[in-house]
Amino acid sequence: MSNNVLTLSEDKKRTIALKITTYVVSILLTIMILTPLYYMLKSTFGEEVKIVHGAGDNTQIVITPREHSITLKEFKALFTRGDLIGFRNSMFVTCLSTFLNMYFSALTAYAITAYEWKLRAAFEKFIIVAMMIPSTVASIGFVQMCYRLHLINNLTMLIIPALATPMTVFFIRMYLKATFSREIVESARLDGAGEFRIFNQIMLPLMKPAIATQTIFCFVASWTDEWVPRIILIDTKKDIFTLPLAGSYQGGALLMFLPPIILYIFLSKHIVEGIALGSVKA
Amino acid sequence: MSRKNHLERHYTKWGYIFVIPFVVVFLIFSFWPMASTIYYAFCYLKHAGNTNPELLTTIGKPWYQNFKEVFTAKSFWDAFKNTIVFFLASTIPEWLLAFWLAAMMTDRRMKIKGRFLWKTAFFFPKLVAGSTLGYAVLDQIISVVFQGSGYTMAAFMMNGFGFREKDLEFLTSVQFVIILTTLFMHFGITFIYAIAGITGIPVEVFEAAEIDGANRAQTFFRVTLPSMRPMLFFITVVSVVDGIGMYDIPSLFGPFDTFRRNLTLMMYMEKQAFAGSYAYDKASAASLVLLAIYILMSGIIYFLFLRDKDEARLKKLNREKERELARSI
Repeated sequence: MSNNVLTLSEDKKRTIALKITTYVVSILLTIMILTPLYYMLKSTFGEEVKIVHGAGDNTQIVITPREHSITLKEFKALFTRGDLIGFRNSMFVTCLSTFLNMYFSALTAYAITAYEWKLRAAFEKFIIVAMMIPSTVASIGFVQMCYRLHLINNLTMLIIPALATPMTVFFIRMYLKATFSREIVESARLDGAGEFRIFNQIMLPLMKPAIATQTIFCFVASWTDEWVPRIILIDTKKDIFTLPLAGSYQGGALLMFLPPIILYIFLSKHIVEGIALGSVKA
Repeated sequence: MSRKNHLERHYTKWGYIFVIPFVVVFLIFSFWPMASTIYYAFCYLKHAGNTNPELLTTIGKPWYQNFKEVFTAKSFWDAFKNTIVFFLASTIPEWLLAFWLAAMMTDRRMKIKGRFLWKTAFFFPKLVAGSTLGYAVLDQIISVVFQGSGYTMAAFMMNGFGFREKDLEFLTSVQFVIILTTLFMHFGITFIYAIAGITGIPVEVFEAAEIDGANRAQTFFRVTLPSMRPMLFFITVVSVVDGIGMYDIPSLFGPFDTFRRNLTLMMYMEKQAFAGSYAYDKASAASLVLLAIYILMSGIIYFLFLRDKDEARLKKLNREKERELARSI
């Protein structure tokens, strides 16, 4: 009996020790992650921060402080014309490609889950293989295709390919596997709803958590993507470039990090349940 | 019953209809570029905007010319080595940290508070620091942290443990900063997915493990990890795709570092195909190497996470039984 009590209190001690360690590690990590953001904002508002490559392997920093607080005129001057054009193009590309990505990935995942077609198992295997090989591997072929179709320096090629993203399909499929119920579909059919209507009005809202989660990740990935714009938007004289290419260090940086934060604020409450349900194996 | 079957068959055509957009776009924008990249690796195709590939054998060169050029270049091997080193050195600590923290934060007995806040904080770098500026400052700060605290710590340690200042110099090297930055940028994603995977496991499973007297480590390795296999697979794929295709963080240190300390395979590809002589053919050969790495990694991941081991073992047993039966007859 006494032995039992002893082990219980020992367990409690260990739990508390672990708890403290977890808090300490998390707080340290948060500090290490958030301090750069402070410096980032500081440099956005006019303080000069520079990397200097020192002798050999070393890197060093030089910070020139700002003398007075920022005025409205100076604030306006932070945004160059390039920033605004880049912002407009980036917004256009990212919103459209994220929308296409989400809608058609959900449609594809639904097709795999709801209907028993012959090639279904093979198609699911194909999705798994395709998600493990990113499209960046085929960049050369992609650029050559753009040249042939005369779509180089054209935003279309940043948008359309997002329609087929195996990674998102797999994720939504994982979620559907756990939550899909055939009864809902069947009763909707009895009420005379067509298949497209069932998907758009009944299934799509049910997939909301998984879609919200993927929207955040895909929006951020597309918003910050440098690789594809860099290889296909090569004529810098035209007004066709995205924000990461504009390369401005002041207003551009502000415009760069605001949209993902706003999106995160709206969608973050879905993240937990979204993936939480997604991992239960049906 | 036959009526139901008939009904099901009536609806199956919608399965095909719904995947048509995906299949068409995938074939045009992913499969076709992939196939042509493989073809270009055996062609002569140089100069910006040239869209006229000529097969190497038709212009009197050996078919392996591009591969030979790639494999004999020292810069390629530097890029190869860097990519693997950066990937392993950033992913392994990232995983250990992310999974340990995720397990702690979801532990029912510990009741850690503010999980949502931690998640947001850890995901923040990825969310905001996507700009060139963000990365740059992240790098700077990390090197400042290490120059400042690193050297003071060094002063402490040098007396007792026989460290010299030179031993700690790697902390400010380009490679170390790249690895650390990558770790921080990617840590949040792994953490969020890991938490989600663990919270998706029914509570009863953990209760049963607790009643059976499993300790934390046993619970984690024997219960938690096997129960979240699909999510684990997803996390691994995300890590591998992002890690091997690493490009934007290393390229901050300049595309043409003379010592090639930051050169990755993606940067090598860019340097070949989109600068200088625009050697699309050589870059295609290099991307086939990248493809080979991905296929190898994917195979390993697939057999680790998605193949049902018990089922495979059952099949093997059945086969052995059949053989024995055949022999006895």
